[in-house]
Order: sequence, then structure tokens, then C-alpha cells
Amino acid sequence: MAKIIGGFAISHTPSMGMEYDKGMANGFSPHWQPWFDGTRPMKDWLARMNPDRMVIVYNDHLNHFDFDAYPTLAIGIAPEFRQADEGWGLRPFPSLVGDVDLGWHLTNKLVRDGGFDLTVCQDLAIDHGIYSWMPYLKDTPWDTPIVPIAINMVRHPIPTSQRLYNFGKSIRAAIESFPSDERILVVATGGMSHQISGARFGIANEKLDRYFLSKLKSYVQELVDLPQEELMRLGGTEAAELAIWFAMRGALTDNIDEVYSYYTFPAITGCGVIAFEEKG
Amino acid sequence: MSNSIPFNLDPPGTYIYTGEMATKGYKLTRFGLSLRRPDNREKFLADEDAYMRAAGLSDEEIALVKARDWTGLLQAGGHLQAMLKVAATLGQNLWHIGAHNAEMEVEELMRLCPRKVNALPGGED
Repeated sequence: MAKIIGGFAISHTPSMGMEYDKGMANGFSPHWQPWFDGTRPMKDWLARMNPDRMVIVYNDHLNHFDFDAYPTLAIGIAPEFRQADEGWGLRPFPSLVGDVDLGWHLTNKLVRDGGFDLTVCQDLAIDHGIYSWMPYLKDTPWDTPIVPIAINMVRHPIPTSQRLYNFGKSIRAAIESFPSDERILVVATGGMSHQISGARFGIANEKLDRYFLSKLKSYVQELVDLPQEELMRLGGTEAAELAIWFAMRGALTDNIDEVYSYYTFPAITGCGVIAFEEKG
Repeated sequence: MSNSIPFNLDPPGTYIYTGEMATKGYKLTRFGLSLRRPDNREKFLADEDAYMRAAGLSDEEIALVKARDWTGLLQAGGHLQAMLKVAATLGQNLWHIGAHNAEMEVEELMRLCPRKVNALPGGED
């Protein structure tokens, strides 16, 4: 059966992608250099882990979906996923490769056994939720197939933290019943502290973000038990995206090593990354 | 608006995007998201009024867009991510929206960001 070898969580922002492209062409801005330096070990780690597949839990920012139909939980099942035009054109990167078999397996297990009624998307354009960080964590060609899972974070009600933590546990069960010998990495992306509208625009709570990073491995239930409103009140409305990280953590056991974490504030978003490896 | 950051989720500090807002701003949001397509961006730039009328926006909504009144647009239920596409099409960006929301010049907001606070759960009530 397939096996989860670890997981990581990482922030995403549109500016992260734009700054990376500009930086590769003309050198990184002083604001962003620390983040790209600080995430460099992640690229090496990912290459060393060399997963066969990645299940990536992220959120769409109204770049594929719209409010005619906005799913609370959706899974992408297609041979490839194109980049979404967010309103300012495409970046020079290829489509992401999908894994249809794993996607359907996860869907069957999550809907029938896990109690998670996913919306299945057989065509899914992916935005900066994944495209902003993938280019500096993985060289092209991007030949590691992914299964993207999108969580509504743009319109309340959003799923509760406990629900997403439980979702992660069900993802684990589903992966562990996939008949293959694949080594799979579970990824979450979103957060950390930020708010990009209202007069509180630009709020940056490093203390909250470092607290979150310090608790994720061994005291995750404490974080899960925090009201999302409290994360939003202290870390900004978009800090609610940290709930996505519980899906990754929930997919891992407690028998893990924290192999890397890094945190900084490039501009208006607390940017953090944390990586875990299963010991078993 | 000063640089003090209130630890609450009330407007004008924060606009929570609820179902009520989504219903109120359905057409505004749909209009903004139509600009994900390059051909629509061209059409909008060629004749803003005609494009917005065809999108079914009200006179009040059209006036808010013409005034680049980002705060008014969010209050009218336009989703930030959709209004960001309007801003980008018009040569503006997230900083313009944020500065309008915070009642600051863009340069001033950029100078203040990140607007650092330090509080843990249960703190700074």
C-alpha cells in the first residue's frame, strides 16, 4: 500500500511569485531575499525526499471557481492542471501533472468512508495557492504528479479547524489503502498572519505565527481548539488559512521529526514554512 | 486612520466576507472575475461604462468603480479577490486597495508595512 513519508506547510502570496520571477531576472529585492534564502533548504529537502506523489491541500482565490458555484471542499482529478490567469496574465511555468488514479481513489475513500463529500473537478486551473511557491521548491519539469484539494477560504462559513484536522486523518487512511508502493508527501499551503483588506491591511503578528509553528508538531490539538475568529482577530482575516495546515498535520502520525522551519515578513504577509518526516 | 491596529473584527478595520455580502455583491464580484479573461480586460478598458452596464451593475456600483472607491466597493459586497482584478486591469494593485481602506497614501502604507503587532491567543482584548 502507499505510504505517507512526511509533509510540509508553506505560505503563499501572489507577490511571492512575482518577486521570484523578478528576482531570477534581476536579483531579489532586500525584502524578499531572506524568504528565498530561508526556503532554499526546503528545495534540497524535497529533492532528497523525492516523493512519488504529492497531495496538496490549498485554497483557490476566486481564480478558478466563482460564486455561481464555490465548493467548500473540492478535489482536482485530471492528467494536468493549467495555471490560472489571476487577472494579470500567466507566469512562464508549465502545467502541473495530475494523478487520476490516486485522485479517484482518494475521492472514493473520502466520500464513502471518510464522510467528506468532495466536489470533483475534472478541469481545474490552479492559482498562486500552488504556483507561487512551486517554482522555487522544484525545478521544472514538474514530473511529480499531484492531487490538488481546494478548501474554501474566501467566503464564510469556512470549514472548522477540527473538520480540516479530521479531513487530514481521513486523507491518511485513504492514502494508506491505495494499492501501490508509492511514497507520498502531503502538503498544505496558506496563512500565516495577514490581512489584505480593511483598515487593518498589513497586520503582521510574528508572535502568533511563531507560536503556531512551535505548537504544530506536538501540541496541534491546542491550535485546533483555538477559535478561528481568534486567529483572525490577532493575525488578520486571512490567518484563517492556517486551518488548512491542520489537514497536513492530521495526515501525519505523532511519530514525526520536525526537520525544518523558517519564518519571516517579506512585505504584508507572515511567511512561514515547516517540514515533517515520518520516522516509521 | 493611524497605524494603530485594533484587535477586533469590526469595520472599518475588517470586512468579513459573509454570505450576506456575497448576495449583496454578487454582480460586482462576477464582473470583477470576468476580468480573469484577457479579452474581457481589453473590452473593459476600451469602454468601462458599456462593459459594466452589460455586466448588469447598478449606477451606484458603476460610480464606485469609476471613482476607484475600493473601500466602497468592498462595502457593496465586491469580493477583495474580484476587486483586485479590477484594480490590476486599471494599472493599480493590492496596495492601492489597502491604502484606500486604511485612508493613507500608498507610499505611507508601504512604509508602515509590515504593521507589526505581537499578541497571543487571549491577549490584547
